[in-house]
Amino acid sequence: MKRELMNQVNGIVLQVLYRGFRVLYREDSRVRAEIKGWDEELTLKLICGPGGAALAMRHDSQDGVRKIRRAQRCDITMRFKSVEGAFKVLSGRMSVAEAYAEHLFFLEGDIYKTMSFVRCVEYIESYLFPGFMTRRILKEVPEKQISALQVYALALLENGR
Amino acid sequence: MSSYFEFTNPTKLCSGKGAIDNLEYELEMLGVHHPMVLSDRVLEKIGTLAVVLDALSAMQIGRVFTDIPRDSSIEVVNRIAEEYREFGCDGLVALGGGSVLDTAKGVRLLIGQNADDLLELMGCECLPKGTAVPFVAIPTTAGTGSEATAVAVIKNPSLHIKMEYISQQIMPDTAILDPRMTVTLPPRITASTGMDTLCHAIEAYSCLQKNPVSDAYAAAAVGLVRKNLVKAVKIGSSREARMALANASYLAGAAFSNSMVGVVHAIGHALGGVCQIPHGDAMNILLPMGMIFNKKVCRDTYGELLLYLAGPEVYQATPKAKRADRTIAEVIRLRKRLHDITGLPVTLKEAGADPAMFPDVARTALNDGAVIVNPRQVTYETVIRILERCYE
Repeated sequence: MKRELMNQVNGIVLQVLYRGFRVLYREDSRVRAEIKGWDEELTLKLICGPGGAALAMRHDSQDGVRKIRRAQRCDITMRFKSVEGAFKVLSGRMSVAEAYAEHLFFLEGDIYKTMSFVRCVEYIESYLFPGFMTRRILKEVPEKQISALQVYALALLENGR
Repeated sequence: MSSYFEFTNPTKLCSGKGAIDNLEYELEMLGVHHPMVLSDRVLEKIGTLAVVLDALSAMQIGRVFTDIPRDSSIEVVNRIAEEYREFGCDGLVALGGGSVLDTAKGVRLLIGQNADDLLELMGCECLPKGTAVPFVAIPTTAGTGSEATAVAVIKNPSLHIKMEYISQQIMPDTAILDPRMTVTLPPRITASTGMDTLCHAIEAYSCLQKNPVSDAYAAAAVGLVRKNLVKAVKIGSSREARMALANASYLAGAAFSNSMVGVVHAIGHALGGVCQIPHGDAMNILLPMGMIFNKKVCRDTYGELLLYLAGPEVYQATPKAKRADRTIAEVIRLRKRLHDITGLPVTLKEAGADPAMFPDVARTALNDGAVIVNPRQVTYETVIRILERCYE
């Protein structure tokens, strides 16, 4: 697949991921507990390779997370080394743990604080990807607290800004 | 095993009898004229530091700093970096255990990246090559393997956690392993640090980031521990055993620096930060239970390790299906021998851990970077279960 197409897919999945964060902050007690444990105003950024799609967000006490400008310097930045590497994770072919093991991304910021973010991503993946994919990539698939269909429906209605 | 791996080990190794004698030459080759020597008070008191200073007698030392506590902190690192600049030093010599070596790595990071506070440099593999700060590491324990790793663990006292810094930029240019540096280690510390080495090797051999090169290092380290740990504990003056353990520690360090460690270290770091349990003791206590937890997904890798941990006869005589269990049994057997000889604690109760702190330990462990590469999913409940089973 051409890099540009991968980049576009990465951008779409980041949008879904962001909406997933907001929906599951309301609907999944584990995601809510994780996010509530974040520092007030903690900022996080996910960058999908040089010049690639990016998602930057801030901890928000009301909605869990809220988008911020990508140019803003964040407390935690996960930066994929390539668009292709990010695509592997965002298309559900590889878990965050596997991507870490294969050095697909590097991290700026506190490793200790990043682990909670990683757990949230894994919870969200368990809703967003079908079972055959999550069983392959996650070490253990967490139980869903609501159906994946409901999460998708709520994510569609969610404010993506 | 991953479909892609990276392996970094740029450190020159000088290992064996008389290795310290080459220190001055090694520093000159690195362009160092005014080194800062980092060590601790104990090594100063027992004369180990004097051996190193003697080896540098023809060199103008920029500064000797020995006020490094057992668990070094961000504040200590920041202070030493200030002195490094103030005294016009142009390289680092670190003599000590994990704390001194990791402190030196933090100082190298600060000077190399031209920063004033270690908190600004947090991250994993994110720092570019900065100003050259030549760095020679001389370990005085055979356990942490810090002389061969891209990892530094430094305490953040305000958060009661041990913070991990992972960067190729902190690896020493040269590591010097000299039996004179470890020959005075008391039996109990020899046992504790030796089990730390074993734990590095076993976790490196079984974590998600394992690769063929790290496997080779890890397996060799396990073999050296098997043949030499009990001997070094019983006969501390055996330079042969001491040297073998120093090499094992280096090999295991290089292995886990590239394949990382798992649940045992995640909980061990948390026990150190929250309950002040010495790292090697925590590894000794947690290793078998961590292996039992991971066995579900590591049966084959643990089975392979039996060859190195028990020798070819035992390996051959053990049916394949039972090798993983036998490997764990061998670890428990070694632990029992060390306990009988030195009193090394085998339970958290003996080590003085307070069960009331377990929830804090579990929460801290879950946020340790080692959790991500552990082969099995680690949850809060998992950690609590492991802690409870290790308590008595």
